[in-house]
Amino acid sequence: MNAFLIPDLLLLLTPFLVIAIRIFTRNSKPAFIFANLSFLVIFVFLNRLVLGDEPHIFFSTWKVDRFGVLMREILILGAFLGVWFAKDYFDHRADHKSKLTQMAEYIAALMFATFGGFAVLSATELLTLFLGLEIATVPMYALTAWNKTDPNGSEAGTKFILMGSVATAFELFGLSYLYGFAGTLELSLIADAVAQNMHSPLLWISVLFLICGIGFKLTLFPFYTWAPDVYDGAPTPTTAVLSVTSKLVAVIFLMVLIFGPFAAIHSELIPFLSLLAAITLFVGNLGALKQNRLRRFMAYSSISQAGYILIALIGPESLARGAVAYYFVVYTIANYLAFFIFGVIGRNRSETFESLRGLSKQSPVLAVALAVAAFSLAGIPPLAGFLGKFFLFYSAAEAKGYALILFAVLNNVIALYYYIQLIKAAWVDEPETEPEPLAITLRQKVVIIVLMIGTLTIGVLPFLNTNIFRIVG
Amino acid sequence: MTNILGYSYWILLLPLLGFAVNALVLGNRFPRAAGIVSTLLTGGAAVLTGILVFGSFGTNPQAQVLWEFPFLRFSETFAASMGMLFDPLSAMMLFVVTVISTLVHIYSLEYMKHDPSSGRFFAFLSLFTFAMLGLVVATNLFQMFFFWELVGISSYLLIGFWYQKPSAVSASKQAFILTRFADSFFLLGIVLVSYIVGSFDFATINSLSLADFSNSFIQLGIAEFSKAQGLAIGALFIFIGGWGKSALFPMHIWLPNAMEGPTPVSSIIHSATMVVAGVYLVARLFPFFMLHENILQLILILGIVTALFAAVIACTQTDIKRILAYSTLSQIGYMMFALGALGYTASVFHVFTHAFFKCMLFLVAGAVIHQVHSNYLSSMGGLRKKMPWTYVCALIACLSISGIPPFSGFFSKEEIFLATLQNGHPVVFAFALLTSALTAFYMFRMFFLVFHGNARTQFEKPVKESLLMTLPIVILAIFTVISGFEKNIFAEYLVPPQVTLPHTGAHFPWIPFAATALSLAAIILAGIFYVSPRAQIAKALDEDNRSRFYKIVAHKFYFDEIYYAVVRQFLLGGIAAFLKWFDNVVIGSLVKAATFVFQKAGDAVRAADTGYLPFYLGTLIAGLLFWRFLGNLPL
Repeated sequence: MNAFLIPDLLLLLTPFLVIAIRIFTRNSKPAFIFANLSFLVIFVFLNRLVLGDEPHIFFSTWKVDRFGVLMREILILGAFLGVWFAKDYFDHRADHKSKLTQMAEYIAALMFATFGGFAVLSATELLTLFLGLEIATVPMYALTAWNKTDPNGSEAGTKFILMGSVATAFELFGLSYLYGFAGTLELSLIADAVAQNMHSPLLWISVLFLICGIGFKLTLFPFYTWAPDVYDGAPTPTTAVLSVTSKLVAVIFLMVLIFGPFAAIHSELIPFLSLLAAITLFVGNLGALKQNRLRRFMAYSSISQAGYILIALIGPESLARGAVAYYFVVYTIANYLAFFIFGVIGRNRSETFESLRGLSKQSPVLAVALAVAAFSLAGIPPLAGFLGKFFLFYSAAEAKGYALILFAVLNNVIALYYYIQLIKAAWVDEPETEPEPLAITLRQKVVIIVLMIGTLTIGVLPFLNTNIFRIVG
Repeated sequence: MTNILGYSYWILLLPLLGFAVNALVLGNRFPRAAGIVSTLLTGGAAVLTGILVFGSFGTNPQAQVLWEFPFLRFSETFAASMGMLFDPLSAMMLFVVTVISTLVHIYSLEYMKHDPSSGRFFAFLSLFTFAMLGLVVATNLFQMFFFWELVGISSYLLIGFWYQKPSAVSASKQAFILTRFADSFFLLGIVLVSYIVGSFDFATINSLSLADFSNSFIQLGIAEFSKAQGLAIGALFIFIGGWGKSALFPMHIWLPNAMEGPTPVSSIIHSATMVVAGVYLVARLFPFFMLHENILQLILILGIVTALFAAVIACTQTDIKRILAYSTLSQIGYMMFALGALGYTASVFHVFTHAFFKCMLFLVAGAVIHQVHSNYLSSMGGLRKKMPWTYVCALIACLSISGIPPFSGFFSKEEIFLATLQNGHPVVFAFALLTSALTAFYMFRMFFLVFHGNARTQFEKPVKESLLMTLPIVILAIFTVISGFEKNIFAEYLVPPQVTLPHTGAHFPWIPFAATALSLAAIILAGIFYVSPRAQIAKALDEDNRSRFYKIVAHKFYFDEIYYAVVRQFLLGGIAAFLKWFDNVVIGSLVKAATFVFQKAGDAVRAADTGYLPFYLGTLIAGLLFWRFLGNLPL
């Protein structure tokens, strides 16, 4: 038995156990505790794995390498924060919607989605890759429509699954052409075939369909249209998961393809990827300008973040990997920090910009935390988000994508404008009516403080960051 | 010994901890506890420093880096590090800074007792100490600049501590802006030198030889220079940083105005932190500066001009803190011209002795102000009987700064005189001697007017000398008496690394006698003017009916006014007004136009956000076709 498989097997097993525990206990508390323990165990296990430079491959279909382990840890971190964030929505009403039920099943679904991410990371051939992506996506449909009493949620779920099916069809179509082109499912063999015949139309049709298909999940232009509706209609914890876990899996999928089978044509893909990135981040920024509902705002913000992440992918593999891994650590932390604050605000109010008013007087700490999250997402030094963006641009600069970087940096001005709207609402705008008192649980307090410290320290102490690059570089 | 080397970082961390605890936890809510915590932690740092310094005596005078870690990696071979350099120079400074800071902390416990925000005061004071400690142990230019700026910001916070007073606010801004102005040159110098040398390290920069750089060239924007010239420009820029921080003429005006801060702050700024940072910078990079004859000349001239200029002004001031401020300027001038005259050991020795008596003088001034609630000589006089301890200590300090044996100032000044004359600067030597006499005159003018004669104001109940305020003064008096006898230690250990100073061996045994005689004469003159039965004190303190020359001097040669004129008329009225117009009209309309365009574009994006599913499905197909034709794919 090889120890490298244990975290993956554990993560596959635990969702079933979580549901099983729920069957035999009266409430979902034991399941929640068990889930947290398993995340901890898996994380520690991942952390203890000692890997060489060579990947470990099992049964020729499952690969574990250092980059994979790092990304697994980030996925687990995202899932863990997602579960903690979701807990409050099962405890009480929020955002004027009824409270969620069936927590254990929710957790299990989230774990399955995370396992899907593991599968994408481990794929050595197209079947595993595709299955992993679907395992990561299908639970999201259910999570979106989790609140059965909320018609908006059902509407969002319906839109999501219908559009997602089309996107999946795109992907399958692209994969089938790729198979037809190379005559094999093995990623490494496909890469050889691509290197030998770089200008086959068969190959390029497959590239177009695959990137457009994953563009749906990554919310690239113009496939992002579902995102504002789904982010807004879904329960808030699902929105958080969609903007972090789901996006991370999609980025990994794209990286596996671009730096795997398509490595030989990477340089020819650069114009396409640059355009995709530029238009996506521009449109996302524009869309976020005048939003009032916070979740819709976060949808557009995450669309533009996807554009920024895509910038890194035009760089060489080692730099892109490091930049993406670092960015996702930073992005996960800052995004969840923002969502946790929205969760506190939205408990007795609706999740809108108006509800943020007067926050600086009601709870200065929350208002400071919100400012930290917003500034980090906008990429203001010395916060972590700045270094994150810096590394993304650094990777692109290796590929001489200076025009793209310039465009992205100028776009940051727009991004700064709308992120500052958050801060303005919390610090400057006066509430029209006396705001409802805030209720904050100990768990929320602890998480908010920890995430805030994380955002501050990661940026200020640059020598902490070199590790990530040492691991993947 | 090895243990303490391993734990040496606590010397830095303890004051930082004091800052963090006071800023985050105790603060103004528990001001008493804040003061005690800060004092104990700084005291701890002083004890550790004592163990470290005395433990390493006689063992190994070589420089060693106790610890170092890369802080910011620019490339594989080029990193900015944070570390702790331990050599005789930094050991001396560590000792001075921690001891003086501890004493000032103790003193402030009493002095700031009634201030409602004394918690904030102690937080900043600890931060100031931490910044200065970080500066003196710096292993490289980057770290030095980092802490240099931290010193700047904490001095800004402390000078403007009473931000309710407009004068304090403008003084703190003045200090900050003026030193920042100089610091921008410092930063340019660092960039230039580190670019040419390829390292920030003092060890590397101090062991350069210009010959290696004279054959390669560097493009500096306007013209091409040889790298050796580039280094000279870099050295000049770096020195300008020290020029501003040490308040040398004509960038001196911020220092007397910085008197607006609480007196303990002035005490620590003038003795151990901030102003000596510039001297320390030159001393630290002394072998590097020695490569550039012209810059040494500049340092020499600036030093002696500042020394004489400030001494002249000090003779006419009536605010005791201002008198002391100008005396600091004058003494800093001494240290600088000594460096310029290659009297490295003498200069460093003077830094050491000056720190104690100057700190003490300010603490005495604070005690006096505490007593009479005024800074002005016109409300003092006759305090000798009310404050006997303070009186004796003040006498020691005044004798010391005037260079009367056997007090410490005598020894260090004598070294400076000797070095100046030995290295062939007789003119500078003559001016230095003159300055020394002036120093004795104005110090005893102040001394007599404060402590002797009749009390010029009557108070109902004199405050008794409190233990917390008197104890630091007495301890400093002891240091002042004994620190002069460390001469041999300085001569043995505090020699510049990697260079040999020219040694003429010429002796001038008459120097101490001449200097002392001049000083004594000046003191007697001050006595005749201000304390003898025939002294006309009222006339001496009258500022209005004076000769023209006296008035010019009393107005500090109108330097404040010149600065204000330049800033108001030229910077604010001319350049800033134009920029304001440009900003409002040109930039403003550009921004408005851009905002309009982006808002409209945003509306267009949101218009696509219809919520209509068939439209969304259509975008998938449309998107595919869009990228098929516009995605630059070879299809």
